[in-house]
Amino acid sequence: MLDRDLAADILRAARARGGAFAELYVEERLGVSVHLDDGKVEEVTTGLDRGAGVRVGHGTSFGYAYSNRLDREALLQAAEAAAASVDEGGPGSVVDLRELEPPVIHAAQIDASSIPTEQKVAWVREADEAARALGPEIVQVTASYGDSVQRVLVAASDGRWVEELRPRVRLSVNAVAARDGNIQTGFHGPAGLAGTELIDANPPAATAEVAARRAITMLDAAPAPAGETAVVLAPGMGGVLFHEAVGHPLEADIVDKEASVYRGRIGEKLASEILNGVDDATVPNAWGSFSFDDEGAPAQRTPMFEDGVLLGWLYDRLRAEKDGVESSGNGRRQSYAHPPIPRMTNTYILNGSSTPEQIVADTQRGVFVTALAGGQTNPATGDFVFGCAEAYLIDKGELTTPVRGANLIGRAIEVMSSVDAIAADFDIWPGICGKDGQGVPVGSGSPTVRISRMTVGGTGA
Amino acid sequence: MELCLAAAEAAEGDEQVEAFAEERSTTSVDAHRGEVEGLTFAESRGVGVRVISDGRLGFAHAADPSIDELREAVGRARANAAVASPDPFNALPAVESVEPIEGLFSETLAGMKTDEKVPIALDMERMATTTDPRVRKTESVRYGDAVGSVAIASSRGVRAEYRATGCWCVVVTLAEQDDDTQTGFSYRIARSIDELDQSSVVGEAVERAARMLGAVKPETAKVPVVLDPVAASAFLGVLSDGLSADAVQKQRSLFGPLVGEQVGSGNLTIVDDGRLLDGPGASPFDGEGVPTGRHELVTAGVLNGFLHNTYTALRGETRSTGNAVRGYRSTPGVGTTNLFVEPGDRSLEQLLREAEGGVLVQDVSGVHSGANPVSGEFSVGATGLRISGGAPGEPVREMTIASTIPEMLQSVWALGSELRWFSSVGVPYILLREMTLAGV
Repeated sequence: MLDRDLAADILRAARARGGAFAELYVEERLGVSVHLDDGKVEEVTTGLDRGAGVRVGHGTSFGYAYSNRLDREALLQAAEAAAASVDEGGPGSVVDLRELEPPVIHAAQIDASSIPTEQKVAWVREADEAARALGPEIVQVTASYGDSVQRVLVAASDGRWVEELRPRVRLSVNAVAARDGNIQTGFHGPAGLAGTELIDANPPAATAEVAARRAITMLDAAPAPAGETAVVLAPGMGGVLFHEAVGHPLEADIVDKEASVYRGRIGEKLASEILNGVDDATVPNAWGSFSFDDEGAPAQRTPMFEDGVLLGWLYDRLRAEKDGVESSGNGRRQSYAHPPIPRMTNTYILNGSSTPEQIVADTQRGVFVTALAGGQTNPATGDFVFGCAEAYLIDKGELTTPVRGANLIGRAIEVMSSVDAIAADFDIWPGICGKDGQGVPVGSGSPTVRISRMTVGGTGA
Repeated sequence: MELCLAAAEAAEGDEQVEAFAEERSTTSVDAHRGEVEGLTFAESRGVGVRVISDGRLGFAHAADPSIDELREAVGRARANAAVASPDPFNALPAVESVEPIEGLFSETLAGMKTDEKVPIALDMERMATTTDPRVRKTESVRYGDAVGSVAIASSRGVRAEYRATGCWCVVVTLAEQDDDTQTGFSYRIARSIDELDQSSVVGEAVERAARMLGAVKPETAKVPVVLDPVAASAFLGVLSDGLSADAVQKQRSLFGPLVGEQVGSGNLTIVDDGRLLDGPGASPFDGEGVPTGRHELVTAGVLNGFLHNTYTALRGETRSTGNAVRGYRSTPGVGTTNLFVEPGDRSLEQLLREAEGGVLVQDVSGVHSGANPVSGEFSVGATGLRISGGAPGEPVREMTIASTIPEMLQSVWALGSELRWFSSVGVPYILLREMTLAGV
C-alpha cells in the first residue's frame, strides 16, 4: 500500500521533536453489505475506505493524526501534526524497517468477492422466508449480510513492518414475534474472520430459525421471579459475562487509570478454582482473531485466570512500555481514524469436566440463560447488570417455562468465585465490543457454566 | 465538485445518479494533569454515489477517490441497484434554488495552527484545577474544531456546495471533599474561536461539581422542577427521534397519530431551523441538495407535522423539509438540523422563585436507555439542588424521575429567555409545574 522509503520518511518526520516511538498505520477496506427490512432488500451498498494514522507516543500520552489521503504531502502533514504534542528538543531515531513473520494466518477458503451480489441478496431473502415460515407470529424480519476485506500495514520507528489481510463475513437475523399485543424479538448472527465458507457452514435459513424460534419462545414467557438463585449459562453466554464483567477491568488502560477492581491483585485467587480463562487472538478464523494487532504486535494466547488465580493484564504498547513488559498483543483500533487502545480479542472460559445434562439435573431451582441481551458494568467496582434475551426456569433439575425480563445482577469477583460447575461443550458468540467510541469484532466463548448463587432481578413473584 | 459532476454525468438512460462529497479536517486536544494527554488531527474526504433505476436503489462510497475510482463507484452502485427491491418512493429531488448562509465559515478558525490550539486545552485544564480548593482534578478537558465543505450534484441538475467551521470545548471536573466525589460537566460550541467562551465553560464545570458535594438522597416528593439546559437537552434528544417521518412511517414514533392535537402545554413551541446561524447544525441545503428552512413542529403545544427527506415525503405525499441527514459513507436518513425549544421571557431567578420548594435538576442519566421511544415512558436518574428562598440550595442525588414524555410536555409551565446549544439541540431553562422525584 505504501513503499518502505516513504514510510521511513513519515516516521522520521513524526519523530522530529522526540517522543518514545512513532508509528504509521495504513488501512484499506473494501466491503459489501445487503440489508433486508420489511420483506424488501432496502439497501445494497459497496464501500471503499482507506486512510492512514500516524502516532507519536510518550509516556501514556500520544499525538495522533490521520488522513484518508495516502500521498506524501498529506502523510507528512499528519506526521507533523502528531509530533506537535511532544517537544523534547531533538529528533528520535528510526530503525530500518524489517518485515515480521506472522505467527498465524487466517485465510479465507472462499473469497467473498468471488461471490456475485445476487447470491448475497438470495441469502438474506432465504433468511427472511425461513424466519416467516416458522409461524404467523413472526411479524417482522430484518436480515443483514456483510463482507469486507481489510488490508493493514503497520510500520514503527523500532523497525517493525507488518502486513496483513483480514477477510470478514457475517450474516445476522433479527426476528420480531407478536401475539395478543405482546411483542418479543430474537437475534442470531454467526460471524468469522473468514470467507463465505462461513455461510456454507451456517446456512441463512438455520440462522433465521434460531432467531425466529427465540422470538416465538419468548411470547410464552412468564415474568421472571426476583431473588437469589442458581444461574446456568448456556454455551457461549458464560463468555459474554466473562468478557464484560472480568475482561474489561483487566484491560491495562483501565488498570492504569485506577479504575479496575482487580488492580494490584495479580497472583490472588479471585475466581473459582475450576475456572480457567484466556484471551486468544490465534484461534483460527475466529471473529476476534488476527495475525498482528493494530500496533504490529504478534497475535498471542494470553492466560487471564488459571485455577481461579488472576495472572495478568491485557496490554497495548503504551501501557506495556510504562510497566516495562511486552505488549500482550491487545492494542486494537476500529479503523485508521482511531488511536489504538487495549482491547480483548477472543475471550474464553475453557472447558471443564461436567456435562450440561448433569449440571441442569443437579440444579434444584434456578434460571437457565440461553441468550443474554445488553449489559452494563462498572470496572471500578465490578458491579454488573445483564438483561436476558432468552431464559428458562429450572425446577427440580428440569427446564420448565421460559421467563422474560430477567436481569442478572452481581459483582465480578463474587460471581466468578461462585462458579461451581463447568461443562465441556464450548461454543462462541461473536459480537462488536464498544469502548471509548470504538467498535471492534470480538469473540466470547464458554461451555455451559453454573453460578451457584446470584441475584436475578425480575418482576414476577 | 468536479468529481460530483463527473458522477452525475455518468447517468445512463432513465436512471438517476447523485454524488455527495464531503471534506473535513478536525483537531482535538485533551489535557490532563498539566499535559497534553492526547492530540488528534484528522483529514478526510470522500464521495458517496446513489443510483436509482426503476425504483431500485444502489449505493457505493469511496474515500478520496481518483476520477477512475469514482467511475468504478458509479458502476458498483448501479450493479447494487440491479439486485435491490423496487420501491416507488425511491427518487432524487428536483432542483430548487438554494440561498447561501453568510457567516458559516470562519477564516480565523480555518487558519489556526495546531500549535495554537494546544494551549487552549492546557489553559482550561489549569483554570479548572486552580479556581476552587475542592476541585483539583479533571476527568476530561477537550478542545475540538472542524473545518469542512460539502458538494452535491445529480443527474436531475442539482448543483450546490458550502463550507462551514465549528469549534467546541468540554470540561468535566472532579470535586472532592472527605469521601465524597462529584463530577461537573460543561460544554460550549461556536463557529469561531473568538466566540468560544473558555472561562465561562470552566467556571460552570467547577461550580457544577463543587455545589454537588455533600449531596443527600431526598425524600420522595411531588414538586416543581427547573430543568437545567444540560438536563433538558437530554430529553429533547429523545423527543427528536419521534419527530422524524421515517420513525412515523415505520410506526416507531409516539407522535404518529397526533398531528393537529395538543401534545404539550400552550407554552411549548419546538422548531427545527436549518438556516439558523446561531445553531451548530446550520447549512443552506440538506444531504440531497434540498434547501433547509424553519419548520415549527409544535406550535403552542399543537403538533403540526414531521421532518422529511425526499423518500419519506414521497411516501407521505408531502414535500421534503430539507432534513436529509448523511455523511458520504451512507444514504440519506431523516434527522434534525438545529432543533430547539423556543425560549420564553423568564430569567433564571424568576424561574427559581416560581419553583420555590422544588428542585433544580442539573443532570439526568440513562435517558437514552431508560426511555421507551414508542410508548414515551421513561425512568431516569437525576441529581440537582433544592430550591429555597428563590436560590439553589442543598444538593440532592440518587433521585429517579419516572414519567412519560407526553406528561412532561404537558407540564411545561415557563421557559428561560436564553437558548443554550448542545451539539445541534438548543434549550433554555424549563420550569415543569410538577414532577414526582423518587428518593427514599
